[in-house]
Amino acid sequence: MKIAVMQFPGTNCEYECLVSVKEVGMDGEIFRWNRPAAELSVFDGFIVPGGWSYADRIRAGVIASKEPVMDALREEAAKGKPILGICNGFQILVESGLLPGTTCNGKVEMALAQNVMISNKRIVRRGYYVDWVNIKHDAAPRRCSGSFNLSKGELLQIPIAHGEGNLVTMEKSLIQNLNDEGQVVFRYCDSNGRTTPEFPVNVNGSTENIAGICNPEGNVLGMMPHPERAFFAWQLPPHDLRKHQKDAVGTGRRIFESMKRYIEVTA
Amino acid sequence: MKIIGLTDKEVESSLRSAGIGMSVAEARSIAKVLNRDPTLTELFCYDAMWSEHCSYKSSRATLKEFMPTEGPNVVLGPQEDAGVVAIDDKWCVVISHESHNHPSQVLPNEGAATGIGGDVRDVNCMGATVVATADPLRFGNPYGPQKNKVRWVAEGVVDGIWQYGNALGVPNLAGDVVFDESFDFNCLVNIVALGIMKKDQIIHSRAPKGAGEKEYDVILIGKPTDASGLGGVTFASEALCEEDEATNRGAVQIPDPFLKNVLFKANDDLFRLVRQEGVEIGFKDLGGGGFTCATSEMGSSAGYGMEIDLDMMHKAGDFPPEVLSIAETQERFLIISPRKLRERILKIYNEDWDLPNVYEGARASVVGKIVTHDRFLAKHKGQIVCDVPIKHLTGGIRYQREEKPRAMSLAEPVVDMPVDMNAVMLKILGSPNIASREYIYRYYDTEVMGNTVIRPGEADAGLIAPVRGEKFGVALAVDSNPFYGRINPYWGGATSVAECLRNVAAIGATPAAITDCLNFGNPEKPEAFWEFREAVKGLSEACKKLWLKGYVNQPIPIVSGNVSFYNECPSGSVAPSPVVACVGTMKDADKAVTMELKAAGDKLFLIGPRYDELGGSEYYKTIFGVTGANVPIVRFELERSMIYAVIDAIDQGLVAACHDISNGGLAATLSEMALTRPAELGLDVDLSNAGGPGMRTDKIMFSESSGFVIEAKARSEAKLAEIIKIYGLEIMEIGSVTKARRILMRNNGSNVVDLDLDEARKVWVEGLAEAMR
Repeated sequence: MKIAVMQFPGTNCEYECLVSVKEVGMDGEIFRWNRPAAELSVFDGFIVPGGWSYADRIRAGVIASKEPVMDALREEAAKGKPILGICNGFQILVESGLLPGTTCNGKVEMALAQNVMISNKRIVRRGYYVDWVNIKHDAAPRRCSGSFNLSKGELLQIPIAHGEGNLVTMEKSLIQNLNDEGQVVFRYCDSNGRTTPEFPVNVNGSTENIAGICNPEGNVLGMMPHPERAFFAWQLPPHDLRKHQKDAVGTGRRIFESMKRYIEVTA
Repeated sequence: MKIIGLTDKEVESSLRSAGIGMSVAEARSIAKVLNRDPTLTELFCYDAMWSEHCSYKSSRATLKEFMPTEGPNVVLGPQEDAGVVAIDDKWCVVISHESHNHPSQVLPNEGAATGIGGDVRDVNCMGATVVATADPLRFGNPYGPQKNKVRWVAEGVVDGIWQYGNALGVPNLAGDVVFDESFDFNCLVNIVALGIMKKDQIIHSRAPKGAGEKEYDVILIGKPTDASGLGGVTFASEALCEEDEATNRGAVQIPDPFLKNVLFKANDDLFRLVRQEGVEIGFKDLGGGGFTCATSEMGSSAGYGMEIDLDMMHKAGDFPPEVLSIAETQERFLIISPRKLRERILKIYNEDWDLPNVYEGARASVVGKIVTHDRFLAKHKGQIVCDVPIKHLTGGIRYQREEKPRAMSLAEPVVDMPVDMNAVMLKILGSPNIASREYIYRYYDTEVMGNTVIRPGEADAGLIAPVRGEKFGVALAVDSNPFYGRINPYWGGATSVAECLRNVAAIGATPAAITDCLNFGNPEKPEAFWEFREAVKGLSEACKKLWLKGYVNQPIPIVSGNVSFYNECPSGSVAPSPVVACVGTMKDADKAVTMELKAAGDKLFLIGPRYDELGGSEYYKTIFGVTGANVPIVRFELERSMIYAVIDAIDQGLVAACHDISNGGLAATLSEMALTRPAELGLDVDLSNAGGPGMRTDKIMFSESSGFVIEAKARSEAKLAEIIKIYGLEIMEIGSVTKARRILMRNNGSNVVDLDLDEARKVWVEGLAEAMR
């Protein structure tokens, strides 16, 4: 079972993603953008990690989405192989049309816009923000490759670090459609699972607190929070009791385990 | 340029109109050594190399006189781009500390970003993986006469730091921010970069042995050279006048973290290649002084000369030779390598990592060779534009500056104790210098790389576990108090070191080394030079008396540093600011503790008696608007014992939370332990157990005498007391953690402070945001 961790110029989370892949017992390697795209077909799954691919020129993710390797990834996705896009990787998947993936005319239907933090109807902050947040798994179990093992309503504690994670769309029916099809995988919530629409619970102003979505088939997942940074218990914030517990793990590990399980089941 | 035969006035005039900062005497001495008039390119090269920034001409003698730079754990002291300290037999930390003050004042965003960019290059070029940064920042008064400018600078600097560091992908682990009027026209932006590497893989920033005889290649990699940052080091070696800001903006470099991110990965392949081949290369970043500085220093320090062809450089346009020589274009490195590796090295950068397509005009180019003669020789369009003795160029000059104590009339104020101490407490907690730093560090990617164990805001120092499969942690903290430094630069220097060591100890790490960035005014003024000397003495004394743990009389080594003079403007100089960074190590990162209160019922202990030394304190300044005279001093033996006791107690698992006492004194320290997230517990403290005998309540609360507050784990109190006794210290039980979410401080039976946690937290969290917006 072999995972390609994609690397574009400016990607900066590929090494820790590879660590997570290997820790859950998968094999993997970093795949540089200028390698022959055809070499991707031997892999069983793909991760598009975070970073600032092509310096976020024009729009976050848009230039990487035009790389030949992304054409190859679209072909691999069509075969049902799992793809996990994290942070900038999520942005790349949106720009390349892999997410939400409801139409095939190449039109980008949604965007991850600048964070806007709203509290009591006032904008209290904008832009880049780093913190640990709670997200709720809002899809059915086995609905999506990257959350395959998660039950509905399960909470994960996980950090975010981005300037543009605010999911917006002009297409009125899109959000309804995502909800109806069970494509909303994660929502920002408080520690009790409540999805209050305001900052700090809705940490970036995202429509309906959406933190991650999958394509209709469920094999492609994009999420803003970083599961690879919540993989080991020692990475957790100090007030999380699991931090110093023996044999405890970080909740981000569940994402990588899910990917592995999905590959096992669909193989 | 004609010098010989002209009058001083004529020479002065032609130097200035060419944009050269050196003195007439310096120019004449160059003409004398060359035995002819120097070319324009030569003068520009000397101007850069002999600038205060590159040559340390005013500071070197003082640094050498006082600073301890050696130690059993020092692998490489302050000789190359960064210092190297052993963690264990296999792993090392690499650390560098730089300032980018002048550029950040005139162009805050670009200035601060290139500050990070330059410092991480210093660490990377030793062969290390850069794993953390820290950013000690000093800004003017956000509520004073320059408030709009101050806020513009502060915001731009923070933006520059996050935009560069986050994109590069290196976590920001520590930092501090202090606001004071003396920084109104001269902000300080100091940057610390930390790397990790194996001990046997260090790459030196000089030509390897045999490079001259075998005519090794000189290879320039990275961004195409342009005219940006022209005269950067000369600009940094002069006082700053507001009127000149517009013209000085051209001396600020242009950052590109994206290209740097790709370069770092390509550099990793270079390091791998030379390891595989078992070949030694020289590797250095291009920083202050640009191409000339990097090339000449790498040749000179190995005893070789160099022949450069400026036409072979990749560049962004047709620039004159003096520009190509000293422009400070960012994101460039220089390699000195054997010819047999040439094609493979070029392939790494130009094909594998595809630099020309990643950034227009970026690539690796062979630009010259190392030779055995003693000249630094550069050609441009077939003409020799520079032909000087390489040792003379890199040797610089030395000045013995005069020193004179600054005349100040200082007195301890007579103030009445305020009646409403709740109001005092809230005012202190909301002060921009005490309030939570959260507003800033939420911009910083503190998580990238996935190594972070303790983040900014969680404890006095940050901590990473940088190597998977190894249990050790590396801690980082920074410190310097300008208010003490202004009153007494000696104790300003000493307390910087002591507090920084306490910060590292408070999480359970053992201080291993320090770096310093010495920010002062114009050294040609005797008062400023006196402040510099005093601060260096205090700082060095503290290192010598606080000893590496596990040794006797073995100083904490200073392994890297930087001197930044001319932080002044016509209205005055910055408060003396010897900024210190301390790197600590711990065998098991899992043992580290943070500062937030952990469990109701736990006992709180104080170590470190309170003294009546409130000069420069937050209390005097914020509540009464006075400075005072008696700054906190470092009682070296007491300090050392406290630091050791805390490290031992944490190592033995007796400590639930720990926080050192500094700005705002015991009262602020206790409050911060309650206010730090999750902020679910309160505390109840009796101050009568905390003071020296007869001290007034407010002085007990706000004296900034050094010390620690420890929350003991339940049933560990006796063992904790035992350890503290072993070190000859008095342990003072001052109260306990409560379920009630209140900050309660009592003295002699009556409540002095009784604050609701949410009310206090609101003030504490918003204080910095209000000052920055």
